[in-house]
Amino acid sequence: MNPEKIRFKSLEELKEEKIEVRIKERGPEGEILGGIVFEEEKVIDSESKEEKTKRYIYIGNPYEGRPTITKLETNASQEEIEAIKREIIPMPESFEILEAMAQTYKHHQPLLIEGPTAIGKTYLADKFTELRYGKEVKPLDFYCSGQTDVSELMAKWVPKVETEEEKRKWREFLESAEAQVEISKIAQETEQKEKLSQEQKLALIHTRLQKLAKSVGLSEKTQWRFQYGAVPKAMGLTRNPDGSFSFDEQKGLGFTLHIEEVGLAEPQVINTLLKLRGKKGQLAEEIQLWENGGKKVKSGPKFWAFFSTNPPEEYLARNEVDPALARGVVFKRMKELSEESLHLSADYYFTYKLGGKPEEKPEGCIFDIYNHAEIGREISKVVSAFHNDLNKELKKGEKGRQQRIPLTLDDMARVADALIDVQIRNKKTGQLDLTETLKNLIHFYYLDRLADEELKETMKANLNELLEGDTGKIEFEGKVLARKEFFDILVERASATEEDKKRLEKEKNQEKERNLKQTEFNTEDAISSLLKDSRIPKSIKKKLSSK
Amino acid sequence: MNQEKLDTFIRFLQKVQKQPSQTFDLGLIVKEPKSQVSEEKVFRGIKKIVSIEKVIYDKSLFDEDALEKIIDAFKKGQWVFLEVKKDIGSPLLNQLKHLANYNSFQLIDYQGKDVFEMKMPENSRIIVFAERDFIENKISYPHFYRLFGPVLSSDRLEK
Repeated sequence: MNPEKIRFKSLEELKEEKIEVRIKERGPEGEILGGIVFEEEKVIDSESKEEKTKRYIYIGNPYEGRPTITKLETNASQEEIEAIKREIIPMPESFEILEAMAQTYKHHQPLLIEGPTAIGKTYLADKFTELRYGKEVKPLDFYCSGQTDVSELMAKWVPKVETEEEKRKWREFLESAEAQVEISKIAQETEQKEKLSQEQKLALIHTRLQKLAKSVGLSEKTQWRFQYGAVPKAMGLTRNPDGSFSFDEQKGLGFTLHIEEVGLAEPQVINTLLKLRGKKGQLAEEIQLWENGGKKVKSGPKFWAFFSTNPPEEYLARNEVDPALARGVVFKRMKELSEESLHLSADYYFTYKLGGKPEEKPEGCIFDIYNHAEIGREISKVVSAFHNDLNKELKKGEKGRQQRIPLTLDDMARVADALIDVQIRNKKTGQLDLTETLKNLIHFYYLDRLADEELKETMKANLNELLEGDTGKIEFEGKVLARKEFFDILVERASATEEDKKRLEKEKNQEKERNLKQTEFNTEDAISSLLKDSRIPKSIKKKLSSK
Repeated sequence: MNQEKLDTFIRFLQKVQKQPSQTFDLGLIVKEPKSQVSEEKVFRGIKKIVSIEKVIYDKSLFDEDALEKIIDAFKKGQWVFLEVKKDIGSPLLNQLKHLANYNSFQLIDYQGKDVFEMKMPENSRIIVFAERDFIENKISYPHFYRLFGPVLSSDRLEK
């Protein structure tokens, strides 16, 4: 080999390779174990010059051949990271979202994910926050609707009132369209008075607010308090080590803001959100609030805005994401969960891999299904097939219904959890009647909410067919069985006590012996009838009798 | 009224926690157009099972006041029966969604805190009561049903 071609890998490169191996780690059955990796590193603190241990997480998509791995600092402990990982179903879609979150967070870029209801946008925003701050830390959430007011996002003046009567009058006024127009006019006018100092602008706002109060018959002596909305709050919030939050409009570290369902927001709300666009595709470094005379709020280093929305076809108004907003963010469109991912989720729910299992058999539990993954896997096939079929129907919209009810993974999770302690007993055997229990729970969580009676009846028939008819039939130990028969056998076997198991084993062996004997007798009978047959040549008869 | 069906509904709300985060569901009772079961009967039926406070969300009640009443009930460890008679305003919708997702309130600048967070007590729940026509025609939020786990139709209470 040409020595010039020999290359020694740097320590950095070796470390990268090590991390990549861990990101792509899989278990004995091929299940994903990586995706998120925790590491501690010793670093020299730039201020104190002392050695400190810092915690980091690496996030990458384990399904990718060459995953893009993002390193982020975290406050979470290794135990917390492992616990959070156990709560994430390792679907390709989950890692695609987490990867996008990690990359955009690191580069201080806003992210917008448009995707169907069930793909886990909200859930993963929650988990991503926990991965950086520790268990139970939630992002600052803001949900848009047609009724969202700009002031909830940015800022507003709130009158300080004493009596309930005054409070009622003010609220009535402030909720009126007239008040909202007037108050926004005040902010606009202040914005235009460029020559005034900030104090002068504030004084102007106060005078105008007092005039406004007087014009609608309210006390002009009312004092006003300035209240920040979700956006400036998230920019200047600092999460303290004790879990509390403090706000500083100039020195706050910033926090995660998740703005959900932006597809439902009215144009004035979108216009407000556009203020978050900064230079080079990043988040704005600061925003100016004209409601407060033009005072600026700085965006802290840990501030990150994540927008999410459902695709337009899931909203009746078919709102597309505003093009200006889409241009100002990292925009990611996600498809429906694949059938494989849906099945993987069902498998995780019904084998109870997520969260803890009951330590003792709870009340209402006939059979400890949570300890029998082999049965859970079979249930997951039925429920995910039913879920998938119904979801396809619901996407078309129901007859006579304005509201849309797309299914979510939560529906499956609910059935799995109720299956632990809302069980029906088979009156003949005294054991769990798994088929009836499943039917009952699927009716309760899936079918009872359907308004379209025709669809309800069709889905009921489909479910029966899946459980008791030909559609769900499977081959088991050489026999073709309906799911109900198959479930009965699985439950019977799994419910058996040690004594029962020994008895069953003995019976099975006895049956085997009986069958063997029977075959022997049948063979002997056949040989003897052949020996008696005059048409059979003697030479063959000789051979047969010797056997 | 079929008290047994109501018992089962309450039992589901009390016991079933969704994987993976072990959160409880909010419940919805829908009054069907031809149903004879009144809201008062349902409320009394639930009161036989759990300690519950009624909050009527109509034009006379502002979102902030509705939230205050729910928080007060939670502080007393009670359930809340929220009868919805007007379209849900943004502040209340935000909190219902947060409760549905995380079983907690998250309010900005509330009770002297920059971010006020309060976990729904383990023994408290929210049941929203609304008429089917109202939900379909007056609630502007298109994914209203998604806020809830168990949904009980008043038709089932008549059987």
